[in-house]
Amino acid sequence: MSCFLTVKNLFKEYEGCRALRGVNFGLEKGDFLSLFGPNGAGKSTLLGIVSTLVSPSSGQIEIKGFDLTEEPEQFKKQLGVISHNSLLYDHMTALENLIFYASLYKVKAPENRAVELLRVVELYPRRHSRVGQFSRGMRQRLSVARALVNDPALLLLDEPYSGLDQYAAAILTEQLAELKSKERTVIMVTHNLDHGLNSATKVGILSAGCLVFMEERDSVDPALFEVEYLRHVQGAVRA
Amino acid sequence: MSGFWLILQKDLHAEFRKPESVISMVFFGFLLLVILNLAIPLGSEISSETGAGILWVAITFSSILGLNRTMSQEKENRCMDGLLLSPVSIEEFFAAKMVVNVVLMLLAECSIVPLFFILYGDSFFQSLPMLVLVVLLANIGFAAIGTLFSAITAGTSRNEALLPLLFYPLVIPLISITVKVTSMIFQGAVIKDYSSWLYVMLAYGCIFTGLGFLLLGHVVRE
Amino acid sequence: MSIKKDQIVVIVAALLFCSAIYTVFVYAPTERVMGPIQKIFYFHLSSALVAFLSFFTAFVSGVLFLIRKDLKWDVVGVASVEIGLVFTTLVLITGVLWGRPVWNTWWTWDPRLTTSLILWFIYASYFILRSSVERQDKRAVFCAVLAIVGFVDVPIVFLSARLWRTIHPVVIRAGSIDMAPAMITTLLVSLGTFTLLWALLLYHRTRTLTMAGRVKNLEKRLDGGIL
Repeated sequence: MSCFLTVKNLFKEYEGCRALRGVNFGLEKGDFLSLFGPNGAGKSTLLGIVSTLVSPSSGQIEIKGFDLTEEPEQFKKQLGVISHNSLLYDHMTALENLIFYASLYKVKAPENRAVELLRVVELYPRRHSRVGQFSRGMRQRLSVARALVNDPALLLLDEPYSGLDQYAAAILTEQLAELKSKERTVIMVTHNLDHGLNSATKVGILSAGCLVFMEERDSVDPALFEVEYLRHVQGAVRA
Repeated sequence: MSGFWLILQKDLHAEFRKPESVISMVFFGFLLLVILNLAIPLGSEISSETGAGILWVAITFSSILGLNRTMSQEKENRCMDGLLLSPVSIEEFFAAKMVVNVVLMLLAECSIVPLFFILYGDSFFQSLPMLVLVVLLANIGFAAIGTLFSAITAGTSRNEALLPLLFYPLVIPLISITVKVTSMIFQGAVIKDYSSWLYVMLAYGCIFTGLGFLLLGHVVRE
Repeated sequence: MSIKKDQIVVIVAALLFCSAIYTVFVYAPTERVMGPIQKIFYFHLSSALVAFLSFFTAFVSGVLFLIRKDLKWDVVGVASVEIGLVFTTLVLITGVLWGRPVWNTWWTWDPRLTTSLILWFIYASYFILRSSVERQDKRAVFCAVLAIVGFVDVPIVFLSARLWRTIHPVVIRAGSIDMAPAMITTLLVSLGTFTLLWALLLYHRTRTLTMAGRVKNLEKRLDGGIL
């Protein structure tokens, strides 16, 4: 099996609790996985591990054959992450932030890349303003641009729509559609069934640290999926 | 450009645009020079030991302000995660932050040392060339431990207040050696008398820089 | 180890301690110049040995923790720093008590005393650090780093402490020992006793802390409803 992304037997123990208990899946190029699950199911942990920020207790992850532990630099170059935090420097301007990150990824002509992305997220007129002065929505748009700075082969999104204003959400949706057309792979963790099902090619449910459901989007009936999802959410509440 | 230069450039650029760290360091250092004057009997000439002690208390106490800031910058909006996500190695990050700290301390010392000479007598002034060397060696040691431990305290619940409590016990030996050497320089001793201590200071800097390279990865990664 | 064996070891240690006290006060001759106050030296040196052993153990378990990421080593680390700190305090107190009649001053900036004092500060800050981190894994990493850096600092602390002029008696020089044979025997007995005491304390403290950690995790899981 040589998928684009392979996750094998992932375990994470955390203060005596098992956040992940053996997660296995593979994604092909161009796949868009929407991952659902009740709170505390280990979604963020899984995303944290794939994004290299959290180290797994055991297990293996590969992107394009680059192993996370053996070739971290090559692995990281493939990644883009959008999280709750903007990861932007408030004291620097929008342009400086993007140029800094683009240079970190050794992007060729970082200035051009930064300007290009600023146009995409429609912040070009404000490129010389410090990020500290930006509104929440603007920061989020900029953090989308930041995540795309290295044209990532794998984009990880943790609840990207939560707290986004409509404008920013529209830009994000647009960008995700474009990534899909460019055969980029995406993993999105979300609670929102509409957003999650709309763009996905695959849907999964993570519950109590296990991947209990993983199907092609087309073979899933939204109504039935909602029932399945709610069953796990209620199960988690009852336990 | 390597990650080392990028981070260094970013931090220094921010400091030049708005020199918060250096100004607060110089201000605090100056304040300490004045306050420590209270410990000296009125009208008496200060001994070289006292002078060296005052100078280094002012420098080391003011340096804590800079050490705290270089690391806490990466904490806002979790920018540290952004660096960890990027292909920049932890070693480059440590080196960059340590150099930033050394530069900030040097900039502050450029004001604190002259102020010291003005306040405590220019009889110490002839010792300036050797003093520069001692300052450089001491800065390496302080910055190495300071960078590592400011990364630790940035990850705790009471970051800024904690750093001095961890930092000073570990650098006491370096402070005591530095004060001793400085006082010998003030007395006009020949270099042969204290050169062995300079080696110890250098060794101290090298050991803890090495430890910082080895250990910082564990500290900042989850 | 079974409970019975544990009890036997504790009893042996207690008996050994009594015999150590006996040798110190009855068997060992009274020093001619200093008088009975010299007897404090046996436990002073033994405490210093135990403190050093503890900090060394903390260093080793810090390294092991960073390599293996097994919280077991964190527990050993805390236990040893706790013990080390207690015995460093004892070194300081016995040193001060001895210094008063002999040197005619409570405190002197002697390299060994100064080193002990600085070590006391370093390892006391270990607990301040510990109390300010909530997450177990982070806390363990931070403390391991401090234990390692602190221990590496020890020789430099000692070297630099020589800058304070010394009046500490050098009892053991390379190749020769300036003591009566009975005093050497006494010293060896108390060193042995303290080492056993140290091992016993470390074993029990590690066990207690491990159990406390397990109880805490269970409580958390009960609260979280994940059992």
